[in-house]
Amino acid sequence: MERTEVIDKLTLIFRTIFTDSSLVLTNEMTANDVDRWDSLSHMMLITEIEKTFSIKFKLKDLNKMRNVGAMIDTIIDKL
Amino acid sequence: MLFTTFNFIIFFPAVIFIYYLLPLKFRWTFLLIASYFFYINISPVYALLLFGVTITTYLFTNLISRTSSENKKKWLFIADIILTLLPLFFFKYYNFLNQSIIDLLVFLNIRWPLPNLNLLLPVGISFYTFMALGYSIDVYNEEIKPEKNFGIVALFLSFFPIVLSGPIERSKNMFHQFRGKLEFNYEKSVKGLQLILWGYFMKLVIADRVAIYVSAIFGNFEYHSGVSLLFATLLYPIQIYCDLGGYSLIAIGCANVMGIDINPNFHRPFFSTSMSEFWRRWHMSLIKWLTDYIYTPISFSLRKFHVWGIVFALMLTFFISGIWHGAALIYIVWGVFQGILLSIEAITNRKKATFLKKYNLNSKFLYVFFSCVFTYILFAFSLLIAGAVDSISEALTVIGKIFTNKQSLFINGTTLVYMFVGIVLLFLSELRDEFFPEKFKLFQNNNIYIRWGAYLTILFIIILLGVFNGGQFIYFKF
Repeated sequence: MERTEVIDKLTLIFRTIFTDSSLVLTNEMTANDVDRWDSLSHMMLITEIEKTFSIKFKLKDLNKMRNVGAMIDTIIDKL
Repeated sequence: MLFTTFNFIIFFPAVIFIYYLLPLKFRWTFLLIASYFFYINISPVYALLLFGVTITTYLFTNLISRTSSENKKKWLFIADIILTLLPLFFFKYYNFLNQSIIDLLVFLNIRWPLPNLNLLLPVGISFYTFMALGYSIDVYNEEIKPEKNFGIVALFLSFFPIVLSGPIERSKNMFHQFRGKLEFNYEKSVKGLQLILWGYFMKLVIADRVAIYVSAIFGNFEYHSGVSLLFATLLYPIQIYCDLGGYSLIAIGCANVMGIDINPNFHRPFFSTSMSEFWRRWHMSLIKWLTDYIYTPISFSLRKFHVWGIVFALMLTFFISGIWHGAALIYIVWGVFQGILLSIEAITNRKKATFLKKYNLNSKFLYVFFSCVFTYILFAFSLLIAGAVDSISEALTVIGKIFTNKQSLFINGTTLVYMFVGIVLLFLSELRDEFFPEKFKLFQNNNIYIRWGAYLTILFIIILLGVFNGGQFIYFKF
């Protein structure tokens, strides 16, 4: 799967979880930049990503996801 | 040798003097020697325990990284955790467990006397044990490579500014600093001295002064009026904040003077508009530790349960936080109470956020003000069961009297006036830092007269209003 395809799918997940249809992802984006990105919505994101991409994260992967760019990299590694 | 003793006033400048006289490559070794000297000065026998935890941590982290078998790695990790936790459990929780078993046996009508041990809790054990555990977990999770130099690990766990009461530091933040060039940095040293000055102000002028009033009230709560008990209840969070917050600033400041950075422990907690925000600002090093090593792994493993996974993780995290604070039922109840408050916020968070956004409440002064006051009151009352009085029944008696006894306030003139001066100064400083960080600068003012005027005023206030025969820092008992 191409990076752009991953970003498209991830954008849809973000927009659904944060109920914001105008949300645009950037590599540098972190929880501080998105309204209501707390630990609960973070776990919902993780669950939704696992379901959409049919992958399984480990706790170690979670620690690596410092921003959206790192999150995309981790997803691509798992595909 | 505590920060507020005369010995420390001699020890610290002497350490700094020798430290900067030595060539760079010997500085970390000297710090290690100074740290063990500092610890042995407080507790000679228990320095062996600190050394034992250090050896365990060093050996197991290196063994874990050398092992290729995942299964073997896991067992080594479990052994490491058990061995590191063993002294903490023995010294802190043995009597509590023992008494609980005796109570259970008595309840079952079985008489089997189990002797309690009369041992003093090794000072700082809860802090350095958590630091050692954090390091071991990071090595196991491959977040950090194990340190090959035993001295660096020993210095990390015994570093004198933080060994007694934190901040609970991370190997990731400390190892590279100890290994690197420990050069003199003028700006950092000045910042450090400013923090030390403000830390002493918080401890000696506020915490120990408030303690006089609060102890007088809670120590004889049966004889005091509801108003006095309410006043003492509301003062107690300020005492705790200035005690541990003051200690933390002195610790961070001392490290800064030696060119070493330590993570902050408090971030103006009384400006929090919710309990979850409060716990992001209060005793941050402990909360960050619990978040990284307890809350996140549990909420991650229970992620398919969505909000209920989060609730369970929160409850367990604060249950452990309660136990960390003390081996007694009151701390467990306090931890569970905090867990419940945070769970309610987690469940209602989305609706609350939508509501706040709709009416733009976050920018309304009255909403922010009353939210801060409400959060403060919740925390103050929760502290009643966690340290202010000795048992839950006493806490309930105090709460009952607050609402029923209408007698007048206990006035201790000098204490109240001195306390008021300190608290007002602290509040103004925190208000400035929170809302106008670029205005009304005193310690950071470019004008040398204003800057030195501020230093000397605070020093003068400490000498004039400080309590110099005050007790230990409250968090030493943890």
